[in-house]
Amino acid sequence: MSGATSAFSHQGPVNIAFGALIVLLYVFLMAPLVMIVGASFTGGLLIDFPPQGLSLKWYFEFFERRDLVDGLLMSLRIGAITAVVTMTVAMMAALAGQVLSGRLSGWFQLGMTLPLLVPELLTAVGLLFFLYKIELGKTVVGLQMGHILMSFPYAYVSIAAAMRQVPASLEEASASLGATGWQTFRLVILPLVMPGLAMGGIFAFINSFDLYTISLLLKPLGGNTLPLALFDFLTYEFKPTAAAAATLSILLSILGVAIVQKLVGLQRAF
Amino acid sequence: MATVEVRDLRKRYHNFLALDGVSLKAESGQLVTLLGPSGCGKSTTLRCLAGFLEPNGGEITVEGVSILSTPANRRGFGVVFQNYALFPHMTVAENIGYGLKLQKVSKSELTTRVNEVMDLVRLGGLGDRLPREVSGGQQQRVALARALVLKPKLLLLDEPLANLDARLRDEVRWLIRDLQQQSGITAFYVTHDQSEAMAMSDMVAVMKAGRVAQFATPREIYQKPTERYVADFTGEANFLPCTDVTPHGEGHYSIAAAGTTLDLDGVPGIAAGAPAELLLRPEALELTAPEAGTFRGIVTKSAFLGSALHCEITLPDDSVLKLSAEPNTPVTKGDTVGIAIDRSHAWLMPEVAP
Repeated sequence: MSGATSAFSHQGPVNIAFGALIVLLYVFLMAPLVMIVGASFTGGLLIDFPPQGLSLKWYFEFFERRDLVDGLLMSLRIGAITAVVTMTVAMMAALAGQVLSGRLSGWFQLGMTLPLLVPELLTAVGLLFFLYKIELGKTVVGLQMGHILMSFPYAYVSIAAAMRQVPASLEEASASLGATGWQTFRLVILPLVMPGLAMGGIFAFINSFDLYTISLLLKPLGGNTLPLALFDFLTYEFKPTAAAAATLSILLSILGVAIVQKLVGLQRAF
Repeated sequence: MATVEVRDLRKRYHNFLALDGVSLKAESGQLVTLLGPSGCGKSTTLRCLAGFLEPNGGEITVEGVSILSTPANRRGFGVVFQNYALFPHMTVAENIGYGLKLQKVSKSELTTRVNEVMDLVRLGGLGDRLPREVSGGQQQRVALARALVLKPKLLLLDEPLANLDARLRDEVRWLIRDLQQQSGITAFYVTHDQSEAMAMSDMVAVMKAGRVAQFATPREIYQKPTERYVADFTGEANFLPCTDVTPHGEGHYSIAAAGTTLDLDGVPGIAAGAPAELLLRPEALELTAPEAGTFRGIVTKSAFLGSALHCEITLPDDSVLKLSAEPNTPVTKGDTVGIAIDRSHAWLMPEVAP
């Protein structure tokens, strides 16, 4: 490994090419974000880059649009509930997965991540039929259930990874010192998996905030999430209000990452 | 503090029999070592004692009362783990005070008792550090302190020295033994290191494939092993096949080995003519002039080790004896020498299937 690295550092052209590739990759990842953020501050009437003059008017416009603000509030609410529920359930699932042995544990893991593997559209259609059967079709509760289902694997993967870092001997040590199962969980396991748990919750929130397909099928009568509202909006109007909404979403994600960094440090979360 | 008895303990994993009837007894205040190679069931026995594993059969009693239905957190035993199992998010003092905090003792008493035990294991001044900020030997002492501060009825130690380097191992070993004897706590100690077992224990159980091969004092285990497996595991040993075994009363025999007849002691109950082996520890053998010894052989290897001269001598029947001679003994490879046997260090054992 060190040989390969030193080979790179000694050969100028290879090094430069490698650096250029990295830059290109970042440009590819960041360009859409830069464009959309830039466009949101335009003084013109159309989504455009570079922006024509600087203004915050599209942000005011966004907050004056009843449909978009309602969508934002609904997305925030559903995302928050999704984060709390998935964190709780995924924590329990990770604890359960821990006691399973070898092959069973593998199947369990696979089962928990199934919503990632099955196409979202299929899950959505299946869930739609099911929700109609139990008379929750086209309700907020139904939509909430769909979001929890689709976001659960993200929380689970993050929390299960954190759980695997906690040696079983810590639980045994805690028990031998007189702790009940609950005390061991609260005093030993929970503090140690906290970074993974927080990260899982934020993943679940961001994922829920972003879901489109399943929201489209399950959306309650008269209610829209932000992605749905934005799509409706863009169908008829190509105004920078959409760019302002997108910028706000990006800000929300950055806020989430910042919270993790503040609470537990990013290094420990991954 | 407590007499602990294990009777006919059995544990099965799927189709692997980890414990096949283990019986042991620790008198109050004794340190009992479970000695054996990996997979012999020594750790499984300890984990059953701790309550981390439920045996499939058998009984464990403390002061005559069964503890099998008591969960680990109510047994009141201290456990010291091979990897220390310190809580990484708590300071040294918080780790040690963990059990006391669960018992809801007052803050002032907690501080007093934690400080007391930290002095006892020489951790003074390290209370505010995190486990990863102290050395391996110190981590081991934290683990020990964390268990001892609760004044447990029984102390269980699972290879506590395995992750330490040789110098520290010696230091912590004596610390453990001193603390155990001072406090009079009954202790079980798991190890695969025979010298550790010899030096520390009141009693040693040599384990073999889920059973106790021999349960006795370190001296008996070494000098009077019941079978070759035990002799092999407890130190350097020479074995010679014997013929013409003739018992003369309980535990006394005359035999023929390598062309000589010998009178010696051995495991009681070997029948006349039964297959048996002669155990000769290196210290039972002494080099002599060729005509003076019990055996005569040719030196096939000699190595100067500083404090001793290590020799291997091939007897006429091709069996090889290893011994330690006085370092200035003038022998070289190819010499014909005699070997004198100290009969008090020779021991006859029945041949047992491995």
